Amino acid sequence: MSRYVIGRVGQALLVLWAAFTVSFVLLQALPGDAILIKFLNPELGLGPEQIAEIRASYGADVPLLSQYLHSIVNFLSGEFGYSVQAGVPVGDLLLANLPPSLWLATLGFLLATILAGVVAVLSTLAPFAWLRSLIQSVPSLFVSTPVFWLGILLIQVFSFQLRLIPVINPGPWEALILPVLTLAVPISAPLAQILIRNIDEVMTEPFIAVARAKGASRSWVLWKHVAKNAILPTLTIGGILFGELLAGAVVTEAVFGLNGIGGLTQRAVGSQDIAVLQALVVFSAVAFVLINLAVDLLYPVFDPRLRIRERAAA
Amino acid sequence: MIVSLTNRFKNRPVLAAVAGAVFLMGSLTWASVTKAAGASETPVKGGTLVYLEQQPHTNLYPPAGGFYPNGGILNQITDKLTYQNPETLEIEPWIAESWTVNADATEYTFKIRKGVTFSDGTPLDAAAVAKNYDVYGRGNKDLKLPISEVINNYDRSEVIDPQTVKFYFKKPSPGFLQGTSVIGSGLVSLATLALPYEALGDATKIIGSGPFVVAAETLGRELTLKARTDYNWGPAKLAQQGRAYLDTIKYIITPEDSVRIGALLAGQADVIRQVQAYDEKQVEDEGYLIYAPSTRGVNNSVVFRPDNPLVADIRVRRALLHATNADEIVSTLFSANYPKATSIIAKTALGYVDLSSRLSYDLEKAKALLDEAGWKVGTNGLRQKDGQVLELTAYESLPQPQNKETLQLVSQQWGKIGVKLNVLTADSGSATVNNLDPAKAPVSPAMVGRADPDVIKSQYYPTNRNVLLQKGGNSDKVQAFLDEKLNTLLDNLASEPDRAKRLAIASDVQAYVVDQAYAIPIFEEPQAFAAAPYVKGLSFEAVGRPSFYGTWLAPRH
Repeated sequence: MSRYVIGRVGQALLVLWAAFTVSFVLLQALPGDAILIKFLNPELGLGPEQIAEIRASYGADVPLLSQYLHSIVNFLSGEFGYSVQAGVPVGDLLLANLPPSLWLATLGFLLATILAGVVAVLSTLAPFAWLRSLIQSVPSLFVSTPVFWLGILLIQVFSFQLRLIPVINPGPWEALILPVLTLAVPISAPLAQILIRNIDEVMTEPFIAVARAKGASRSWVLWKHVAKNAILPTLTIGGILFGELLAGAVVTEAVFGLNGIGGLTQRAVGSQDIAVLQALVVFSAVAFVLINLAVDLLYPVFDPRLRIRERAAA
Repeated sequence: MIVSLTNRFKNRPVLAAVAGAVFLMGSLTWASVTKAAGASETPVKGGTLVYLEQQPHTNLYPPAGGFYPNGGILNQITDKLTYQNPETLEIEPWIAESWTVNADATEYTFKIRKGVTFSDGTPLDAAAVAKNYDVYGRGNKDLKLPISEVINNYDRSEVIDPQTVKFYFKKPSPGFLQGTSVIGSGLVSLATLALPYEALGDATKIIGSGPFVVAAETLGRELTLKARTDYNWGPAKLAQQGRAYLDTIKYIITPEDSVRIGALLAGQADVIRQVQAYDEKQVEDEGYLIYAPSTRGVNNSVVFRPDNPLVADIRVRRALLHATNADEIVSTLFSANYPKATSIIAKTALGYVDLSSRLSYDLEKAKALLDEAGWKVGTNGLRQKDGQVLELTAYESLPQPQNKETLQLVSQQWGKIGVKLNVLTADSGSATVNNLDPAKAPVSPAMVGRADPDVIKSQYYPTNRNVLLQKGGNSDKVQAFLDEKLNTLLDNLASEPDRAKRLAIASDVQAYVVDQAYAIPIFEEPQAFAAAPYVKGLSFEAVGRPSFYGTWLAPRH
């Protein structure tokens, strides 16, 4: 077991280092850099000598290798540096953007899971074939709904027309209702699709036929036999989707004017704010590693067969 | 719009403001207008104003205040040495009670008002002013603080007594007095000046002496400003004196256009910035007000980089100038708040001359000029010469209103005379780098706002913004292009101490740039805001940033 853990941690560290290095190389390969973008910006109206001086004062003339070593040493000591564009420490930016992203992603994911479950169960239990196929087409509708359109629609209806929830200056919970809904709809679609397919697949297994022959109802079979079997692949996809949600809610954040990792990433990419981007890359890598670990650990909880195999191996 | 009216009411700002408001409410019912103008309303004290801003602020080092989101904050929290009256453009006392300038504009002496303090309690005296200008005029390498664009030829300061400060310049610097009135010259406490550049993106660290103080900030999301109750040093000639009427201003970042407008119309916000021309009607139809103060600087233009051989020939540039139909651009994409340009600077800018006769739309003339220059229409409908096609490229400028659409329309117009213009969008890194290369960007959009003739030099001089990409400037890709005559004119413009002579030079520069067809001016760029009808006393500094000092909230109906 301990070898397994050490292996996993080692793997994770390797992933982190690779993410850091690759992002550093790629960012350096792009034309221009953060200092150029910031200071050549006509708003400052600086002359070439002044820009050269500023470049020197930021250490932009230092050879790349020592810049790389410098930044990796700083990172290891928890020093993320400053954002050239925003003019604040990267740590402050993360503090301002991480918590709202976590809330949004967690609640959005929970709601998406519930939505997906409801759609999948209904599509299995619905009495008529035409109703089942209608419900089964809901995920396609959800996944093709543009997020910005849905967000603006929800704001128009619930905030501007019905005036139920303010978008400007909302309370901490009010602020989350519409964005969470906006985010949950498209995310629920792939989850529901996979769940439905797996349910259908398990439903054709011989042991289901046996259970049905013994007189079990459709719903009893679904809950007792099918659900547990169908949930595993969904869990895998769920892990990946949650990771994407953390950093991928750019549109939702922009429409609702929320702080978040998505918008922060977008701005940092736009201005090639390397310090911010590297912190974000490392953060995302950590998040993915942790989520995958959690998914791996959850597998045996749902599938006793995996537990037995693990015990046998240990 | 406001300006043309207010010119008739010089020195009567209150009347002018009322008249401007009436005019702006033109689309409203007359009953409500007469009521608003007729009732001698007493300002209401207190309340919170919600202001929606499109983008988060960046670095708040005052010389970086040109960026609109930054200027909108700095204008509330810092005071300036002098106040530029936005209607007359005259320089009036503010923190400086009076000043003297020597004959060749190399020495400026300011008397500082007594009793002014920064919000951290430290005094704003001659020593503090001197420290501010030493940093803005010379920069600070250790703290990475860059030089301010508006201060030319700065040498040093001298504190004569606690209320008197004197500045010395290496060369005549006639634009300096106006330079002391701009947002980029906002005075900050010594504690703020001691911080490195990287730390100045935190609004709570910007300690000014202005009517509002930053009370709290959620980075990238919102900012709360509180009125300073002891504020008693507003510009002396303003009707409003003492503290600001409002208690609190909440700045909330709302990137999405439709959400800003919807929130305003639904009563969730009071003032919003950045209203696109196509949204103006919707706002006015609901009885809300559009404010579109002019930026009073170099007009929104398309400029050429003559270092590129394709546009090195003046006949080609002139042909493209006459092939550009600014009327069509303004009427298709914009509104009455975006007047068609009649020179390279705005009508309301200092030193403006009307050059509309030289900016005519004339396709036949354009075609004849290209024929004369040897560019013949080929089989594909494009102009060609020596096997080369007249195909140009420009990069979209994100901060300018509907810039991509503008360039695309220009591209269609040039297509009529057989010239191709590719309009490209790129990430800011590539756009910045490519836009500095005349081979890659022979055409470029350009504009800058500042209410002093120095702005023309800022725009064209090689060591300033260098929009034409001359040799010796910020681009190392330029082979040879250098216009000595233009640069001499610009040098003289920035150093001629005599006001009348200086305005004459400004007029020469405008004529020269248009004659050389270096730039095709398109429209006078405003900053568009929308506000609820109960927001009163909203004003704008000379370049269109909001000032909430005299703003108050009437009861909502």
